[in-house]
Amino acid sequence: MADGTAPADEFIPAGLAALGIEADEVDLAVMAAVHGLLWPPLQELLALDTEDVDPERCPDLSKAPSA
Amino acid sequence: MSGALDLGLRAQAAAVASGELDPGELLDAALARIEARNPALNAVVETFPERSREMLAAAPDGPLNGVPVVIKDEWPLPWRAQRFGAAELTVPTAPGESGPYRALRDAGATIVGVGNMHELGAGSTGAVSYYGAAHNPWDTERCPGGSSSGPAAAVAGRLVAGAVGADGLGSVRFPAAYCGLTGLKPTFGRAAMEGHHMAPLTTMIVSGPLCADAADCRLLGSVLYGEELAVGDPSGLRIGVVRSEVSEDVAPEVRAACEAAIEALRAETGGELREIELPDLETAALAGILIINSESMSGTTPQQLNRLSPELSPIARGTLKYRMLLPAVATAQAQRVRTLMRRRLAALFAEVDVIAWPTVPAPSPPLEAPVVELPSGAIGADQANARSAALANLTGIPAISMPVGLSEDGLPIALQLQAAWGADELLLDAAEALEQANGRRWVESRPPLADASPAEA
Repeated sequence: MADGTAPADEFIPAGLAALGIEADEVDLAVMAAVHGLLWPPLQELLALDTEDVDPERCPDLSKAPSA
Repeated sequence: MSGALDLGLRAQAAAVASGELDPGELLDAALARIEARNPALNAVVETFPERSREMLAAAPDGPLNGVPVVIKDEWPLPWRAQRFGAAELTVPTAPGESGPYRALRDAGATIVGVGNMHELGAGSTGAVSYYGAAHNPWDTERCPGGSSSGPAAAVAGRLVAGAVGADGLGSVRFPAAYCGLTGLKPTFGRAAMEGHHMAPLTTMIVSGPLCADAADCRLLGSVLYGEELAVGDPSGLRIGVVRSEVSEDVAPEVRAACEAAIEALRAETGGELREIELPDLETAALAGILIINSESMSGTTPQQLNRLSPELSPIARGTLKYRMLLPAVATAQAQRVRTLMRRRLAALFAEVDVIAWPTVPAPSPPLEAPVVELPSGAIGADQANARSAALANLTGIPAISMPVGLSEDGLPIALQLQAAWGADELLLDAAEALEQANGRRWVESRPPLADASPAEA
């Protein structure tokens, strides 16, 4: 956990069990690889200070954001 | 007649309109060329000559009258449901009239085939597909780019002169870059999307044209937009350049070609370069991934994941299951990052007209091992590419990829320009200016596979 990564052998089986999703060894290997790529930046995303960001309500993505 | 297929889209349209080309013979030539070249490319996964001939017989006198095109396996046709490059989708699909189909039909175009794509749209390389990988005409051992792999390979291989792709996280721009084409990602909501199985939910995906050059993209884009993308004057173009990983952690030959192209564009337009700050691009890329993940997984149940088709690739099966586990709080945070980046861009576009950086950090990697070598080390192409492209989908702005050189290995190198919401026309103007600046050298470069064999001539 020193690098902020939730170990795949804890997170993935727990998540699968909670949702009732079955996975074989190949599935688990793929999931572990994806987890290794996504989880560290996901931690950075969650740590990003967005307190001052007032979210847009129903943003119109075809236009610039309203002020 | 097969030589007509080496013309660009607007040249084919003009030749048909003038009577110089017989559209029936052009369609037959396109079908024959697909038969001859597709075994090496696997760009087109299905043809339907009778349906194509029916379209041609009923074609109105539109801007693409009698011109054959390919459409990605991402939209339904009246006679065919989309497969999305996969053995199975977790949402129902059925044959029908999609927005891009109607736009092409009403423009008089002839859909000659369906283009291959990366399985479930979930990759930037095109290396994985239910139909088998599409191949890059510049080197058939290389990735054509994804997810619009087949449309790009079809145009680069001169099977057709224009194709319709889709871009949710770079899926028009990556294959345009790898195949040496021009590809436009429209402002969100401007191009036809009706009938796409995610259309009611997506805030990321748009349809977009893939053609040899910007003027052809303008023609096909106008059809998809349902409005003319007027030619403007890019004089005095203010070009924003970001000094960060997205422009610096790239293969040296890519960096050199893109910097030369940016300077050529500046000189051609009498414009100026401005260094700008745009932090958190990696975070923005992840935010885009999380949002498109939540939208594409909406409605998927654990029970569905427990009975996935064994014909889905192991990567798709494992990834779909992992995607169900991503925490909702991360997607909520991704929406805040979306707002943050939209506001930053709105401020930046008061100071610059376009933002420029390489479309992809390295030329096309091998299909067998889609890994690219960057100054920071070897990295999977999907991971490397995401940071270059996701910003436009996350924020809704338009973007264009255009060829600006060839690598030592003879593979295309591409520059991406991004502009403010609704400034799609400016991107086409700028791309045409750059083509003029380099004497159209790169848009007229042809891959080895596109040189007609004597048997085809």
